[in-house]
Amino acid sequence: MPKWGMLVDLDRCSGCRACVAACQIENNVPINTEEIVNQRRGIQWIRIERYWEGTEYPAAKVRNGAMLCQHCRNAPCEPVCPVYATYHNSEGLNTQIYNRCIGTRYCANNDPYNVRFFNYWEPQWPESYYHYLNPDVTVRSKGVMEKCTFCVQRIRRTERQAKREGRALKDGDVQPACVQACPTDALVFGDISDTGSRVSRLAQDKRHFRVLESLGTDPVVFYLKKVDPQHVGDAAKQPAAH
Amino acid sequence: MATTAGGRKLGRVMPTGRVLAIIVPFIVLLVVGGGTWYLYGALNPPPKQQPIAFPHPVHVETLQLDCQFCHRGAAIGPAATVPAVEQCMFCHKVAVTDRPEVQKLRAAWEKKEPIDWLRVYRMPDTVRFVHEAHIQAGFDCAVCHGNVGQQQVVQHARDLRMGDCVTCHRVNEAPTDCTTCHY
Repeated sequence: MPKWGMLVDLDRCSGCRACVAACQIENNVPINTEEIVNQRRGIQWIRIERYWEGTEYPAAKVRNGAMLCQHCRNAPCEPVCPVYATYHNSEGLNTQIYNRCIGTRYCANNDPYNVRFFNYWEPQWPESYYHYLNPDVTVRSKGVMEKCTFCVQRIRRTERQAKREGRALKDGDVQPACVQACPTDALVFGDISDTGSRVSRLAQDKRHFRVLESLGTDPVVFYLKKVDPQHVGDAAKQPAAH
Repeated sequence: MATTAGGRKLGRVMPTGRVLAIIVPFIVLLVVGGGTWYLYGALNPPPKQQPIAFPHPVHVETLQLDCQFCHRGAAIGPAATVPAVEQCMFCHKVAVTDRPEVQKLRAAWEKKEPIDWLRVYRMPDTVRFVHEAHIQAGFDCAVCHGNVGQQQVVQHARDLRMGDCVTCHRVNEAPTDCTTCHY
């Protein structure tokens, strides 16, 4: 049984938000209007967080980071669910079962990464967009929590395909929409229980860290630090494993 | 003191206990009967009148066609799929062209219009049922759909609610993780 995990190489991320767009389309995420975003109720399963350093041009720097559900192995959101709608499954996915969710929002309140989103309204699309909805993904209705699933529909589809062809899953077979869309190959997805997989090898890089690791959530989304060219030190000398 | 027949107190004629003894069984009967009737209705929805009275028995029993000859998606994808008009016309360009129902089909074919078949089996939106996995595991269509060859109008043959699915998954040691079907 694979344990899925992801890696975000911040040195490669250009902040283009292709992952965000791909995720919205793949997972039937409702459209965030300006009004909704201003109410802080926008839904983005993966988002690019932008941080500025300095103010004037040569000194000003931008740092981009992708933030998505960290699928923590010790997830704070899981034990607070009163109806067991979110739990950790045997593949290491932090699942959200929409038909079981009763919308208490405890999970989102206990989530330190802000990656769980509540449907305050029935999702609305322009009429013609209904033809673009992904039939493999449930359209969540008002009153349920939703979050990144690591594109479990793609995992299931690839599993079926492998079974049909009578083979085991290979590293790189499963690609969530964000990983597939990333033009700079900053996102890597794979089985972290397999030490030979690309994501496992890259996670050994000296630059690796995990977000809010001090909380003890034990996330499976690994990050590789951005190397600042002005402060080229030991980290830059190490060849990238790509 | 003279007492007329109508002057007797109601309490004398119908003591409270006896009133309850009559009314309570009625209420119980109403609730139980209504519940049963509702459940029966929910489990056995009325047969749907299709735009063309397609006879499964002729195709399945008499002609011995395989289900997947028409429902081509069953072994290769999530949906079994309803055949396109073109698929019907594969045979009906020449086969029994004189029947009125077949002529309805031919009319749709000539107008290049699809036939709005009514869907009989539909899972709730939160369920991702995949035909392929079940066919590949070696299950006969009849396990869930009953003997369609005996049904002039296709009807639900099985409960097919979550308890039914999970029971079968447990018996056959299929995965019972929620994300097997719900995502």
